[in-house]
Amino acid sequence: MAVDSPNTARAATSSDQLLAFVQYLRGKKIPVSPADTLDAIEVAELVGYRDRSLLKNGLAAALAKSRHELTVFEAAFDDYFQPAPERPPAGGQTDGQPDGSSTDAPDQATQTDPATQNEDLLEGLRGNALFDALDSQDESALSVAIETAAAEAKVEEISLFTQRGQYVRKILDALGDEALREAAIEFEQSEPAAFEAVQALREQLRERVRDRVERAYLIHASAATEDLLDESLSKLKLGNVDHSQMARLKRLMDRMARKLAARHGRRRRRYRRGKLHVGETVRRAIPTDGIPFHPRWRKIERKRPQIMAICDVSGSVAAYAKFLLMFLYALQDVLPRTRSFAFSAALGEVSDLFAKLPVEEAIERVNLKYGGATDYGRALQDFSELALAEVNSATTVIVLGDARNNQADPRLDLLAEIKARARQLIWLNPESTRLWGTGDSEMLLVKRHCHLAKECNNLNQLERIIDKLLSDKR
Amino acid sequence: MSDTHYPALSDIDAIQQAFESAGYICTTRIATVVRLAAALEKPVLIEGPPGVGKTELAKTCAMVVDRPLVRLQCYEGLDESKALYEWKYGKQLLYTQLLKEQLGDIMDGAKGLTESMNRLHQFGDVFYSEAFLESRPLLKAMEEDNGGVLLIDEIDKADFEFESLLLEVLSDFQVSIPELGTIQAHSKPLVFLTSNDTRDLSDALKRRCLHLHIPFPSVELEARIVASRVPDLAQSMTDQLVRFVHAIRSLDLKKAPAISETVDWAKSLVLLHARDLDGSLVQDTLNVLLKYEEDIQIAEGQLPKLMAAAAG
Repeated sequence: MAVDSPNTARAATSSDQLLAFVQYLRGKKIPVSPADTLDAIEVAELVGYRDRSLLKNGLAAALAKSRHELTVFEAAFDDYFQPAPERPPAGGQTDGQPDGSSTDAPDQATQTDPATQNEDLLEGLRGNALFDALDSQDESALSVAIETAAAEAKVEEISLFTQRGQYVRKILDALGDEALREAAIEFEQSEPAAFEAVQALREQLRERVRDRVERAYLIHASAATEDLLDESLSKLKLGNVDHSQMARLKRLMDRMARKLAARHGRRRRRYRRGKLHVGETVRRAIPTDGIPFHPRWRKIERKRPQIMAICDVSGSVAAYAKFLLMFLYALQDVLPRTRSFAFSAALGEVSDLFAKLPVEEAIERVNLKYGGATDYGRALQDFSELALAEVNSATTVIVLGDARNNQADPRLDLLAEIKARARQLIWLNPESTRLWGTGDSEMLLVKRHCHLAKECNNLNQLERIIDKLLSDKR
Repeated sequence: MSDTHYPALSDIDAIQQAFESAGYICTTRIATVVRLAAALEKPVLIEGPPGVGKTELAKTCAMVVDRPLVRLQCYEGLDESKALYEWKYGKQLLYTQLLKEQLGDIMDGAKGLTESMNRLHQFGDVFYSEAFLESRPLLKAMEEDNGGVLLIDEIDKADFEFESLLLEVLSDFQVSIPELGTIQAHSKPLVFLTSNDTRDLSDALKRRCLHLHIPFPSVELEARIVASRVPDLAQSMTDQLVRFVHAIRSLDLKKAPAISETVDWAKSLVLLHARDLDGSLVQDTLNVLLKYEEDIQIAEGQLPKLMAAAAG
């Protein structure tokens, strides 16, 4: 079954295995197109399956399309094509006679009955293809039979961990285990040796089928299960994400960030009709003897927004601030000039902290430094003094906070000024829209002074907002 | 399979040896990809930090297979008239002027517009024939009789639109010229694209290529590279120097020194007749290795540690 086990039906099973590996890679979120798959098969034919590292290098060239994908690919390859542990040639028995005359459990067989008698009893089973294959340890026949049965049982539809037993049963049935079982029942009372022999073969078979189902689960279902977990996590309120989920969340966030970076990373241009590009137009007119059939227009580059994030880091909102900042910093390739400010009572710039430290640690430091009772008025005042001069038509200001100001003056005039200067002013509120304006929430007033005010408390919403921000539409 | 085209590239060990004798020390991964590129007739997209020998790989490959190297340097604003082909407008104009009298002869005795037109049509598109076609690198690579090596350097610098232009060349090895039709490669060239990863390339382009990521080499490999490039430097000195460079790369620098810088450094040490890598020598020559003042300052601050690492 493994790459370097010498006597499998190579051509057929190998390419099947490669296809399964491609499935597995897709489960690991490497997009592999059918064309890539064909390339991979061609590569594998060329380099062969014997040399593991050669195969790895070759397949990497065809399947992994970036540095990130290369690391994922290498790990996946090592997982999938594990060098096979030397299987004892025949399920633990001493394989003395090549024609398989001594079946399993030789100790008991020799103790109670001469082997020949055992043979006679099992004679009834000869002609049963499954029994013959098992009995003579015919690897390729067994593999083919199991593959066929697996296909019949639709093992590739397995979707949950708990379904494994059920699929093992289905495949065994499809293989024709029934006949062996009946024989075993028949022998159980009368012929213990034969019973043992048949049972041992059945156990071997079951083991192989279990392996097969396990592999199917790994290839088809583990990806689906992961997807399910990812999906539920991206809908979960970020405030409720617990520590054990952080690693997954981080992974998910990185993936989203990569997706966004790929979508918005390239320099974008827009033609601006109205301003003629004289040089280019004249050049274009040469073949038409100077008559400008194809006027060319000057292009403008769409600037990437500079982001200034102002985050409330007081108790209730801190968790959300953490995720917003994590996301923004995961996007550094696309948003290289992000500046971040944190406040609770006083406000301060924390860009350097985030540039230097891992996000979790930075957040803790920020909390220490700027914690206290929330005061939006003072925070906006501080921000105006610190950075308002640098807010211009390319700047997007994002404020993250619940706008609960303990009845103090929220200084909406400052907010209005920021709005006037900035390209966009976005307010993200982790509270659900229904709670806006209740109690000491100033959200309804604040909303009027923002280009966009949104509820944002899970990863999906966060992704959508950042996507919109990057596409630079109001 | 084009093994027949490039017999030098039909065996991985042979590739490694041939490249080594041409002065390029390569890993098995690189050799494998070159082998696959020749066999599957697919372009290779080489990515990696600047100065690890991406361009050099293509050049060496041309040397090993002994075919011409056609190089297309990409930059912003590169378009088809500079990459594919252009009509020789001046020549066309000149010829029409010169042939004016001939035209008079042809038209002689034609009655009416229709007849004149018909006579003109008999001469076909003389002015849009290969004689007036100026081949640019991509077309030139297609026209090489025995195949060649096409190097499309720093593709990430070209505009996004240019990538789409490349697709036809990369997958079918042909160029479509509306006036002439499709020009097929006489013999498929080996194509290398290099990218410094400043932006993501389009999926369509990636899909057509084999991928090769060249990272900074290991200490052993780099020592071999330096030894082959600068044979005058003593072995012990080479080892020290490479270990020093590796230590520097682990610092947080604006631009980590690449292989080419290591080689330059080694060369300058040979010129200075240095016998041993000592602190003052390093301090004086650090600017060969590091290109930013800040980086030099950081490295100088860490000098004792770096020297210790160099000593092994």
